[in-house]
Amino acid sequence: MTTNPRRSLANQSNALKSTGPRSAVGKRASSQNSRKHGLNSAPYFESLSEYRALVDLIAEEGFSAFACADIASGLLNYRRVMDAYYDTYTSFEPVDEFLRDVTVKASNPIFSELLSPSGSEPQDVRDMAAFFASMQRQERRKGGPVSRRSADTHKLIRYQRNAIARLSRTVRQG
Amino acid sequence: MLYNVHFGITVDAAMPVEDKSKSLLPFLSSPKLLPDESEAEFQQGLQSLLSELDNPSALAVALVSQLNECLWWIRRHTVDKELLLHEAMARLLSREGSNWMGSGNSALSVALEHYLNGSADKDEVALIEEALIDANLTLADLRARSFKDAARHIKMVDDLIHRQHQTIRHLQRSIDSIDYKSRLIKRMDLELAALESKQSVKGALTLDDKSS
Repeated sequence: MTTNPRRSLANQSNALKSTGPRSAVGKRASSQNSRKHGLNSAPYFESLSEYRALVDLIAEEGFSAFACADIASGLLNYRRVMDAYYDTYTSFEPVDEFLRDVTVKASNPIFSELLSPSGSEPQDVRDMAAFFASMQRQERRKGGPVSRRSADTHKLIRYQRNAIARLSRTVRQG
Repeated sequence: MLYNVHFGITVDAAMPVEDKSKSLLPFLSSPKLLPDESEAEFQQGLQSLLSELDNPSALAVALVSQLNECLWWIRRHTVDKELLLHEAMARLLSREGSNWMGSGNSALSVALEHYLNGSADKDEVALIEEALIDANLTLADLRARSFKDAARHIKMVDDLIHRQHQTIRHLQRSIDSIDYKSRLIKRMDLELAALESKQSVKGALTLDDKSS
């Protein structure tokens, strides 16, 4: 689907007037908007069939029952982190080429055209142009696709560090 | 009894450990690859790592699979470092040139990528050379300036690579500990068997003494 730049600008200007969701369902849905990977939630592996199978396999290697449980959940937890790592790496925020490449001055007539029928003052147009320019600066600062995926994946380093430390500790102490 | 282990592999609980490790192989080693990556190459790396272990247990195979995945991530991130530089070069060309913003960064990025790979067609070569003249830069200058521009993201990728190295170290220690544990168990089994046989011989001798 191709994005009409004028439609896109109209959507962005209308979005500025929004005060957020009103219904309980809408609020619940929007509460998940910034959820990226879900790695901060506590995992419950014990109910998974994979967990039981892993515990049984590890038990045959002479580990105690407690160690088996720890190693199995450590391994599944590490896999959970690495799956999120892969998902983050492959599904980064797309580059908004229109926003990045267009010049704000050239966009001003578009703003005027959009806002004049609704009786907006030139100050509104200036404010919107300033807002648009700041969005553009943010967009450019994020860089291209590789910069974005590197920055996003970088945020998961601590989860990987904790998961592997836990797994390694349980295996060596087991 | 059959278990459906993570990632959809079925493992028979009554199977010997050696066979289980083979069954586990796809479960922990079937990787999530990018469209341009070769699964055969990934599996080859895994097999070469496994071949260095003497009769690996299921857990050892699982850990070696994770280790192989870390090596794969290091490869991906190393490629990313070069791509980051290309991105920054395209951005810089776009910024320095007079009319490049209008044509968009993507066209320039693609042309630059082909130019640096040596696979650019005539139009792309002309586009890049014109852009370089317009920006009053040589390719070496552009690369040096881009490196400075992309330093923040390159540092991030270096951190990611460093993290994978640390993870590999953890996995190696874990594999060593499993290997040591299995050898210790074998040794203890042998000692126990020796003790039992000694005991039975002693018992037999005592019985002989009593009967005589």
